[in-house]
Amino acid sequence: MDHLLDVADLPAPEPLERTLDALSSLPPGDRLLLRLSRQPFPLYDLLRKMGYRWEVSGQDGDWQICIESESGVASRH
Amino acid sequence: MVTTGGLSLDQAPPIHLPLRFFLTAPWLAVGAGLVLVLQGEMVMASRWTPAALAATHLIAIGFLGQIMCGALLQMLPVITGTPVPRVGQVAPLIHLLLSLGSVLMAAGFLGAGAALLGIGAVATSLGFAVFLGAAAFVLGRAQGPAASRLALRLAALSLAFTVALGLLLTAGLLGWLSLPRFPDWVQAHLSWGLLGWVGLLIVGLGFQVVPLFHVTPPYPGWMPRVLVPAVFLALVVATILLLTGQGSKDEWPYSALALGYCAFGAITIGLQLRRARPRLDATLIHWWLSMGAVMAAACARWLEAPPELLGILLLVGVGVGLPSGMLLKIVPFLCWFHLQSRQVAAGRFEVRVPHTHLLIPERVARWHPLLHGLSLALLAAAVHEPVLARLGGLLLACSALWLFALIAGAAWRYRRVSLALR
Repeated sequence: MDHLLDVADLPAPEPLERTLDALSSLPPGDRLLLRLSRQPFPLYDLLRKMGYRWEVSGQDGDWQICIESESGVASRH
Repeated sequence: MVTTGGLSLDQAPPIHLPLRFFLTAPWLAVGAGLVLVLQGEMVMASRWTPAALAATHLIAIGFLGQIMCGALLQMLPVITGTPVPRVGQVAPLIHLLLSLGSVLMAAGFLGAGAALLGIGAVATSLGFAVFLGAAAFVLGRAQGPAASRLALRLAALSLAFTVALGLLLTAGLLGWLSLPRFPDWVQAHLSWGLLGWVGLLIVGLGFQVVPLFHVTPPYPGWMPRVLVPAVFLALVVATILLLTGQGSKDEWPYSALALGYCAFGAITIGLQLRRARPRLDATLIHWWLSMGAVMAAACARWLEAPPELLGILLLVGVGVGLPSGMLLKIVPFLCWFHLQSRQVAAGRFEVRVPHTHLLIPERVARWHPLLHGLSLALLAAAVHEPVLARLGGLLLACSALWLFALIAGAAWRYRRVSLALR
């Protein structure tokens, strides 16, 4: 199941905070679909270390990032 | 699929290094406030009085210089992916030299002896030289947006000119060399310091952080391309005219600089008024006070107000206000991001990492721009009513103490959670 999180209108670093909060309650096997106005560069290093994979699409002003656990199981439980 | 390069904390120095700068800087501003409390009328009498020079250097080196260096030592490696070599030794050395340098210079100006002034100037210059060496190493490999990269490089070059001119002026004051038209050299020194180093750094960072922290539209495309090189060129021309005896601070390059910074101030406020969420936070109030001070300084220049007023508006209004406002965002973010990274490394997800708004709560942070704004208003008014300078100085010291308390509170909360993550 996909969970949509739109943080495009939030000032930094709230998009990062909300994303990590959402990941902590993401059911195993589900995906988090993020919508942001800027690329969240500091997030990628954390995602990699937490065992998530992600795919980015879009352009400046409107980015979409799809995040899921590499093992198919959520990593923060 | 879009390729994504992450910002890695692995490249950044440990958090205690930037915090060391941020926790020391407010005390040097307290020192400047105390100079005003004790010798307020003297400071306002002329920018050439020893008390005015002492207060100026405590703010410019001790407060502003420390915060800028501490923030850049943390930020540049993260942005560029290039760590500062031996940062564990380099950062404390810069911190020590700038702290010591600013205090010794202030003591020297206040009559403790020419030797102290000389030692302070050398210590400050060495501190900035070490910082510039580290910045040059990292900036040489910088990626990042071109406009900000150019602004940061030209700001660093401006700092180098400011320091070199400062050393010459110190040598002149100590009688080691003779500088014809001494006030023109001073004018060149403070122009490169305030309008070059501080101004370009704020412009370069503003292009990035204003849209980021307040969700505004981006700056107009022409602005980064035109403003940064134009400011630098105007400063070069102004310096050549000054030092060859062909001009003064009233010449056209200064009019161009006033116009350029006025445009930056007006556009910044305009963008912030169009922010996505009409939330008002302490950093935003600081931006408005600072940009208001920039525009007031430009008007004061056109109205031929005393130079002391321009100095207060730029040094206290911008030089103290804007770095303070930025710290209220930067410190909680650094604490939060370092804690997140520690949590991931330790796998201790049962420990709750506090959000940034809990590390420096907004309701207590808002007192800071209020105290700062009151001190700025009183000090600006003191140019005409010098007796107000003492109260303005007291409020400047109080706002600096409040800033220290806010940063120390965030550092304490960081430490508490950090211990729980072990």
